[in-house]
Amino acid sequence: MTDTALGIVGRRLLAAVPILIVVSALVFVVLRLIPADPLGMSLPPNATEADVETMRHEMGLDRPIPEQYVIWLGHIARGDLGISSHFRQRVTGLIAAALPTTLELVASGLILGILLGLTGGLLMFEGRGRVTEQVTDIGSLVVMSIPEFLWAIFLILALGVGLRLLPFIGRLDADMTVPPVTGFLLVDSLVDGQLNAFASVAAHLLLPALALGLALAPLIMRVLRSSLIDTYVEDYITLARLRGLSERRILLRHALKNAALPTASLIGVQAGFMFGGTLLVEVIYTFPGIGNLMVEAVRNHDLPLIQGIALVYCVIVLVINTVVDLAYLALNPKLRRQ
Amino acid sequence: MTVEFTRRSALGLSGAAAALAGLGLPAWAQARDAITIAFPNDVPTWDPNARVLQGAQSFYKCVFDSPLTQAPDLSPLPNLAKAWRYRDTASLELEIELRGDATFHDGSKVTAEDFRFTFDERPKAPVAAGGRKLDTGFIWRKVKAVTVESPTRAVMQFTEVMPSAVTWLYFMASFVVPKAYIEKVGVDGFAAKPIGSGPYRLAEYQQGARVVLEAFDRHWAGAPKLKRVTIEIVQDPSARVAAIEAGRADLAVDLPIRETQRLGGRPGLVGRIDPIADILIIEVNHVGAFEREEVRLAAHHAIDKRAISKAFYAGKAIPIDVPAAHGTPGYPKEFHVAYDPAQAKALLAKAGVSAGAPAQITFFTTKGVFPNDFEVAQAIAAMWKKVGIVADLQVMELPKYQELLRAGKLPEATMYQWGNTTGDPEMYGGYLLDPKSIFSSYKSPDLGERVAPLLVESDPARRAEGYRELHRYAVEKGYSIPLFQGIKTVAYQKALAYKPYANGWILPQDYALKG
Repeated sequence: MTDTALGIVGRRLLAAVPILIVVSALVFVVLRLIPADPLGMSLPPNATEADVETMRHEMGLDRPIPEQYVIWLGHIARGDLGISSHFRQRVTGLIAAALPTTLELVASGLILGILLGLTGGLLMFEGRGRVTEQVTDIGSLVVMSIPEFLWAIFLILALGVGLRLLPFIGRLDADMTVPPVTGFLLVDSLVDGQLNAFASVAAHLLLPALALGLALAPLIMRVLRSSLIDTYVEDYITLARLRGLSERRILLRHALKNAALPTASLIGVQAGFMFGGTLLVEVIYTFPGIGNLMVEAVRNHDLPLIQGIALVYCVIVLVINTVVDLAYLALNPKLRRQ
Repeated sequence: MTVEFTRRSALGLSGAAAALAGLGLPAWAQARDAITIAFPNDVPTWDPNARVLQGAQSFYKCVFDSPLTQAPDLSPLPNLAKAWRYRDTASLELEIELRGDATFHDGSKVTAEDFRFTFDERPKAPVAAGGRKLDTGFIWRKVKAVTVESPTRAVMQFTEVMPSAVTWLYFMASFVVPKAYIEKVGVDGFAAKPIGSGPYRLAEYQQGARVVLEAFDRHWAGAPKLKRVTIEIVQDPSARVAAIEAGRADLAVDLPIRETQRLGGRPGLVGRIDPIADILIIEVNHVGAFEREEVRLAAHHAIDKRAISKAFYAGKAIPIDVPAAHGTPGYPKEFHVAYDPAQAKALLAKAGVSAGAPAQITFFTTKGVFPNDFEVAQAIAAMWKKVGIVADLQVMELPKYQELLRAGKLPEATMYQWGNTTGDPEMYGGYLLDPKSIFSSYKSPDLGERVAPLLVESDPARRAEGYRELHRYAVEKGYSIPLFQGIKTVAYQKALAYKPYANGWILPQDYALKG
């Protein structure tokens, strides 16, 4: 098991190098070919053409693109992603400060999405052939057809403005302060012993996480239902029934474990997409994560920051793929034997 | 598997709902000397000398003090500087007398040495490898030296006349920073934990999310009435509307026009749409059909600005006839460009344009950069079509605009909002019409001849008169098509005593809570 897992991680690491080089080159070249001036919005109104040239030189934009790219790669190798032209701060610092917010949000979205998806999938399967199946089927189709950002707005209007039940701005109540330790506010509030702050962070996470989770839940529901239907024609289910096991036990202890494999793959793929979904959700809910940062970077044509965040997204997807492979390995005994 | 809905589960659910409702306190639940503001943007950095960004000025003015400031009607006021004057007739030596009772948030005194550090030493400091020059390095390039004559007196010496120097002392990036503190903690340390001499100290900052300000009790002007101000950075306008509507903010800034009107009609809320000193203009380039002066002038006469203001800005966007705001020194009183479709048609006919052979132009606009920009551009294109100008309306992003502007490749017409919180005419025509400026679209030698002397004119009266003539000339030649003054939209709880500024500043130090 350990050797196989190490092999998977090793192969993924080896594959990651060329993937990162190709992605970085693509992002770098495309950004420089777009007809847009990164300097114009970062100069005072009395700036002169000479000032433009000074700034262009400072940012290395007066060099040929391949040379710029090689210099940038050299800096990356040393862990330096450059300086943001908008924020005038190190890109690594900006990303490091924003990443925990996004990870916390995506993790919450995944948990909610999985919980809703598994519950819905089981309900759909249990109600097969009955009205319950039709209702959950239509419900999942409706939920699936609405994108994350629309859910974000609907949820604000319904639960934030209409019922005034949940907060929808930022990560914490205005009168609370949590000293940053890890950047994960759920953790930091507990570290600081502030239970009321923990509750506030959790409440602030609910709506954006739900907006993200609602994009995932119907997919899980439908895949789980199909997998369970396939699983229930297997001989071991018939044998379990002959052994007198209850339907609940057969479902939860035998069928669900086998039906979970395709669901796990789906969750892995969708987790990558969920990071993409954070772009608008973070803006709408004022979450200072890398999605929000990316929107700001694009708005200001901040080349070093866009490049840095794009690389981070790429690394995140590679990590998720590796984790999914490992999860698959853990769930599937056949793979372990191979 | 069935779910049994019992009295116990019902009680549990209602308990959970009550617990949820208790989480996340709305703005009104805060102490009555504290408010929450839903603001559309953040500061890029807490080093106030690093960047010129109009949207960041309100933040900086809370934490830092500039030598001068402005009254709500834009007139300059003493601030850290209690007096200022040119010592010589050539206007090359500007004496600044600082007040003696100002202190930074760490208790140290604000002195002339800090002033020298801010306006001389920092702008000229060598840029570290991979670093970026401060914007004050560009702004104050004409400063030869700043000499310190006493703890409260400094003299700015210029290499050449800088008539806008006094204006720049209350414009962007000109905030006095603490020399000793920056030398102690470094520039990065300062940006991470900034201290200034402003009415609020920065208590908490989450980039892109939240700024918490606490009143500085020892501020020279007295402690602000509001002791704690939480500024939530809410980029999405719908979310800002929701924030004020749900009572989670006491003040929401830059809202859509219709929403501002709607919110103003709700009990307990006030909605305001105020004109500000920014201007909305059509930048003209002498290419294609706009090479002909008659076509450019016809394009101006064909626009019914009042109708557009009424349709899209509730009549609050004040039409302008020159590229400056009403009541500012560069605005000529006796000049008006009439909405006159008949004259537009006559001018076009003179240029050989007819219904069968309309003038074809490309018209760039932003979309979502300022309220209803795209809709206004559509209306203008429709008005042009009626007189014989067919505009190919295209949406462009600001970085693309900058690229085309720099390359001299802008199309015939581009709708653009120009910010100027000072009202100073140099910040209007001086930069917009000077062919040497990187922000001017119409590069014409005759404009250059008129702008150049104004950029070194030190007599305020002659300078203002010169800019009025320049603005008028540019419009008469069709080099610029001014449209409206910008607008500021806000909605706030009735309990808040809000003070509007004609430049759109949002300054909580001037607000209070009633009752």
